Amino acid sequence: MELQRRDFLKIIGATTVATTLPGCGIKQPKSLIPYVIPEESITPGKSVWYASVCQECPAGCGISVRVREGRAVKVEGNPLHPTNDGALCARGQAALQGLYNPDRVQHPMRKGEDGKWRAISWDEALKTFVDELQKIQKAGKGGDVVLLSGHVSGALEELLGTWIAAVGSKNHLRYEPFAHESLRKAQSVTFGVDAVPFYDFAAADTVIAFDADFLETWISPVEYAKGFTRHRGYTNGKRGTYLFVGPRLSMTASNADSWFSVNPGTEGVFALGMVRVILEEKKEKGVSAADALRISSMVSSFSPDAVSKRTGVPAEAIRQAALIFASSSSGLAVAGGTMVEGDSGVATIAAVNLLNYICGNIGKTVTFGPSSLSRLASYDELALLADQMNGEKVAALVMTDVNPVFDTPDGLDFARAMQRVPFIVSLSSFMSETSELANLILPTHTPLESWGDVEVREGVHGLMQPAMQPVFDTRMLGDLLLESGQKLGRTGNFPHRTMYDFVRARWMDLHKRLGGKSDFESFWVECLARGGYWEKSRSESHPSLSQNLNSATFEPLAGKETAKGGTFDLILYPSIAHYDGRGANRPWLQELPDPMAMNVWDSWLEIHPQDAAAAGINTGDVVQISSPYARFEIAAHVSTTVKPGAVAIPIGQGHTAYGRYANNVGRNPIDLLDPKPSERTGGLEWAGMKVEVVKRPYQTILATVSGSDVQHNRGIIQSVPLDELSKPGNSEADKEQALSMYPEQEYPHHRWGMTIDIDKCTGCSACVTACYAENNIPIVGKEEVNNGREMAWIRIERYFDEQSPVPRADFAPMLCQQCDDAPCETVCPVYAAYHTEEGLNGQVYNRCIGTRYCANNCPYKVRRFNWYEAEWVEPLNWQLNPDVTVRTKGVMEKCTFCVQRIVEGKNTARNEQRPVRDGEIVPACAQTCPAEAITFGDLKDRKSRVSELIAEEGKRDYRILEELNTRPAVTYLKAIKREIA
Amino acid sequence: MTEDYSLNYTDTDIDLMQSLKAPGKGYWFLLVFLLLLIAAGAAAWGVQIAEGIGVAGKNNPVGWAMYITTFVFWVGIAHSGTLISAILFLFRVKWRAAVYRSAEAVTIFGLATAGLFPFIHLGRVWVAHWILPVPNFGGLWPNFRSPLAWDVLAITTYLTASTLFFTLGMMPDVAIVRDKTRGWRKKVYGLLAMGWQGSDNQWRHYTAAYVFLAALSTPLVISVHSIVSWDFAMSIVPGWHSTIFAPYFVAGAIHSGLAMVVLLLIPMRKAFKLEKYITGHHLESLAKFIIFTALVVGFAYSIELFVSWYSGNPFERAIFIYRMTGDYAWAFWLLITTNVLVPMLLWSRKIRTSIPWLVGICISVEIGMWLERFVIIVTSLAHDYLPYAWGIYKPTLVDSLIVIGSFAWFFFLFMVFSKTLPVVSMWEVKEQINPPTKSGR
Repeated sequence: MELQRRDFLKIIGATTVATTLPGCGIKQPKSLIPYVIPEESITPGKSVWYASVCQECPAGCGISVRVREGRAVKVEGNPLHPTNDGALCARGQAALQGLYNPDRVQHPMRKGEDGKWRAISWDEALKTFVDELQKIQKAGKGGDVVLLSGHVSGALEELLGTWIAAVGSKNHLRYEPFAHESLRKAQSVTFGVDAVPFYDFAAADTVIAFDADFLETWISPVEYAKGFTRHRGYTNGKRGTYLFVGPRLSMTASNADSWFSVNPGTEGVFALGMVRVILEEKKEKGVSAADALRISSMVSSFSPDAVSKRTGVPAEAIRQAALIFASSSSGLAVAGGTMVEGDSGVATIAAVNLLNYICGNIGKTVTFGPSSLSRLASYDELALLADQMNGEKVAALVMTDVNPVFDTPDGLDFARAMQRVPFIVSLSSFMSETSELANLILPTHTPLESWGDVEVREGVHGLMQPAMQPVFDTRMLGDLLLESGQKLGRTGNFPHRTMYDFVRARWMDLHKRLGGKSDFESFWVECLARGGYWEKSRSESHPSLSQNLNSATFEPLAGKETAKGGTFDLILYPSIAHYDGRGANRPWLQELPDPMAMNVWDSWLEIHPQDAAAAGINTGDVVQISSPYARFEIAAHVSTTVKPGAVAIPIGQGHTAYGRYANNVGRNPIDLLDPKPSERTGGLEWAGMKVEVVKRPYQTILATVSGSDVQHNRGIIQSVPLDELSKPGNSEADKEQALSMYPEQEYPHHRWGMTIDIDKCTGCSACVTACYAENNIPIVGKEEVNNGREMAWIRIERYFDEQSPVPRADFAPMLCQQCDDAPCETVCPVYAAYHTEEGLNGQVYNRCIGTRYCANNCPYKVRRFNWYEAEWVEPLNWQLNPDVTVRTKGVMEKCTFCVQRIVEGKNTARNEQRPVRDGEIVPACAQTCPAEAITFGDLKDRKSRVSELIAEEGKRDYRILEELNTRPAVTYLKAIKREIA
Repeated sequence: MTEDYSLNYTDTDIDLMQSLKAPGKGYWFLLVFLLLLIAAGAAAWGVQIAEGIGVAGKNNPVGWAMYITTFVFWVGIAHSGTLISAILFLFRVKWRAAVYRSAEAVTIFGLATAGLFPFIHLGRVWVAHWILPVPNFGGLWPNFRSPLAWDVLAITTYLTASTLFFTLGMMPDVAIVRDKTRGWRKKVYGLLAMGWQGSDNQWRHYTAAYVFLAALSTPLVISVHSIVSWDFAMSIVPGWHSTIFAPYFVAGAIHSGLAMVVLLLIPMRKAFKLEKYITGHHLESLAKFIIFTALVVGFAYSIELFVSWYSGNPFERAIFIYRMTGDYAWAFWLLITTNVLVPMLLWSRKIRTSIPWLVGICISVEIGMWLERFVIIVTSLAHDYLPYAWGIYKPTLVDSLIVIGSFAWFFFLFMVFSKTLPVVSMWEVKEQINPPTKSGR
């Protein structure tokens, strides 16, 4: 990768930090530029980029934080990080709203006798913390202290381990709601390795996913999306095949060539059916005859007909899927996620492992190696902890950034168990349903303010550095552990005073281990600039089939009805915006439309139109859902995204104590689940619950941004069959420029343009949140979205295919098309809308008088009017991009192609006395896109990537509403359809 | 000279000036009521300026709604005045004499009401002057490609011409009032009469100027509403972008304007006992005119529908299907009924000579014409090109109060006019009756 200007800036930035941050105090900023480092290192108006690691989910993507005048204003993917390669998801983009969240715990607090929180000083807080723990130690109960953290790796994991040992306990639970228990157990059953495998989507030419929502939240979605786009992207007549098996048409599923909508819980049956077909047809690869025979005997009862009966998918389709998968040169089958992680999860995933095994994918697209995810505690360990707490066997509970009260079923009653613990401390950045029940809260820095390192996958060392001074009177978790640990344990255990020293010491070790060629200081600065260090060789095992695997493994798939009665199969899925619920306090994520349901600020129950009609349910009706464990009312959303007989609810909403943006929004469906851990998997049974759904006689508002689910044959999303693309033919011949009454626009220097590959766009909506962050787009709230006043400059239009007999959906990112003959420009009476000499449809906010004529006349409906004065809650307003005007009420606004970045790019080029390089200027949407669907550049430059793409893709390029002759600068590339089975 | 009137000059002066006598309780009651409604509307506007235009129900696809609807409605109402005073004058239609003064008042007050809405609907009304072609330091002119800039010119021209016509036509009458009043009133009327003496020389110049102004105003009747219609026709919104719009809107404007004149004349002639001057013949003539305009408007509707089908343009077709069957279908069918079908009752002589029937039908036309603009504006915007961006408009308290306030404002102005200026042209009525002779009365 060549060194680009932005990367260079990051290096400069990191150098500054490395030399100055150690001197940082934790005093509150009082000046305009809230930095303690010498002022000459900050040039007002100049951005500095700091590399760090995203901690919004366990994936551990590399990020670069843009800092202006000492404040973090934008988070982007680190282009040098091997995991995400420059891309970032919506949740990563919204990390800033965690940093600046107005509902963060802003100072230490202690709960009084009356149950009310009282602010205390740090001295008092630390003294209480240490004193209480010392009392327990003295009473000989040090071993009964439990440390409950989320997924941690690297320095923090080591430090937490040392700390709990210093207290005298061994109880450190790395608790995550989605801990992949079935996935890990299945690997251990099949291959004898208890690990979360690594999947290489880029290396696969055929992918089959069994429920795993790998483009949304599963394990490492940005990494997978990046790989997927390599596998999938149409180049030189080739394009990967992708099949999806599962009961719900998730966003991930809607990207597939074919969706096999199997009955819930029968994914494993489908996989075993495929295995049997492949073995019968002798299509297996790299499998010994003995193994083949052994596997054959395991799957003998899964004939296509039997499988068809169970799954509800025609036998021929199963055969087809099997043959396609087996004939690929390198395939990849993945299974996982909440829809699989039920009682039969291990069996299902083991079945998929077999599928990978007999096709020779193990060691190629599926590899194993040390991963911090494999060290996560399983749900039964948490359930056991709850038992111990109830039995008053826990002397103290120390928690950091976990929320089990919210993300475990009500039936477990973790909250009640917590009442039996005499001393609970929460070392967290946010108040939550769990922190609320603590006795003491020591507020910690968010990851963007902290030092640390992250090693999710062995050999990939991500380095975290603070991007700015702390926003509130909080402390770094590592510092707190070091300070308290020194008092609680033997001093020798904690030779370091601060987290910074500790991290540096770890990296000195790494430097030594790597051979230590250069001196440490330059290695350290280099790593800070790069965002970490990536070792080339990784210790990866190539496991063979375990001897423990036998027919009994697949017993759970035999099809005996479970006792948990009810009419509908319940499907819970992690919301792409909120994951397990931790994203719910970020207003950007609340206002991010769900890619499939297109609703915001809510949760809902998806029900198939057939079932809905039978019960007289319409979208927006309130229904009551009940399982043996809980019952609540929720809005119905009638949709073909679920199979008849199943209902689905997104996870992540229903908070009660997680800040103003999260509280009382939607419902928490986790409560419906059986709190007892599955004996087979050790995990929570996310799948397999049956529920009743009853219509209530009233309605509620379900705020949606979608005016229509289908495109009424208007050709907004166009597609082309794959085989037509490979046919020779002159594609340019039939394209002629339509006439226009207006004179041709003249562009003396640049004509900015964009291509959007509909085939690559997965619908993940990262671009939407990136645009909110970059362009100071205000949040309007549920009611105003319902009134049709969301402000997004770029949106993902989701249309269901009206011709397809099976439900399928496509996504079209829609933003200002920067037309040559723009209908908006001619109708503005005051020239607020005008044409720039670089082809942009400029909008002068100061000149706008608010006739809204331009928005009426825009066929793409991408202009956004400020109906009210935007509200910027302190300190969320610290995030505002200083390069972009904050708009006032009564003016129109719109996508500018990130004109501030264009100007910056041109200025830099001019200062360096050279022309602007292609790829140097990247708008926020294109920058973050994990699917690399958006390309930006100069259309006047024939050699720019965007011009080349348009020329290359002669059969796929089209412009939306081309017949209006608005001559847009945005060229879309058609979706590619391939009919399978 | 004419069979319509059996009057003499003296009676005419007395009869036609009694409307200027001190008003009764009912008048004051009504005036206060209207003032309250205006205050409510003004307060609503205040709220809108303070809070932002979001308090009105518009949204992303539907950027224009009730304000522009009501704007077009009042511009339409303003049409009958010039039509009656100028075009019918040039055609020497005699029955106009009794009604044209009120009709002209309707024009001016209609414009005065309509003129508020471009301001009310602006996002930033405090910089509204940027739309005016005023020389300025920055050298920044309005965009003359924008139909909104044309609007400004068309409407100010029309307002100027019709105000001139109104004041000029009133000069001889105001002079009579001046001569019969005392005190400060005499001074005010004297100012308005501009030194009118009624000499032959003055009459000669006066009639020449009158014909000239009538000829000047006539094209304005056509142009103003054509240009207002281009706000829509010049756009690319399906359901708006249509060549039929100019004549279609002019016809609709006259349709609603005539009905409004009838609606104002009937109570006025009763209140001021002017039945001798504004006779059944006059009302019937207006009613016949309404049959004609109803037919034109109905024809326009059918052509619009036909073209949308015949064009084969899927977006156009979709809009008309949406209008007929979608969220606002009730408004569409109601407007067809009230604008076209109900006025057909006027074919019956019995109905068109019955005052209650006439009032009912004219109210129906006003409802229909308001709905017509509402349906054109809102349905087209609500369902244009991209189905994903479709939306729906719902009125709110604020925009409803402002629209109601605008009606109150119009009627308030008319009521003030009716008590301060002669509502029927004395001099033109006199032209139609036999001049006083020694032998005669």
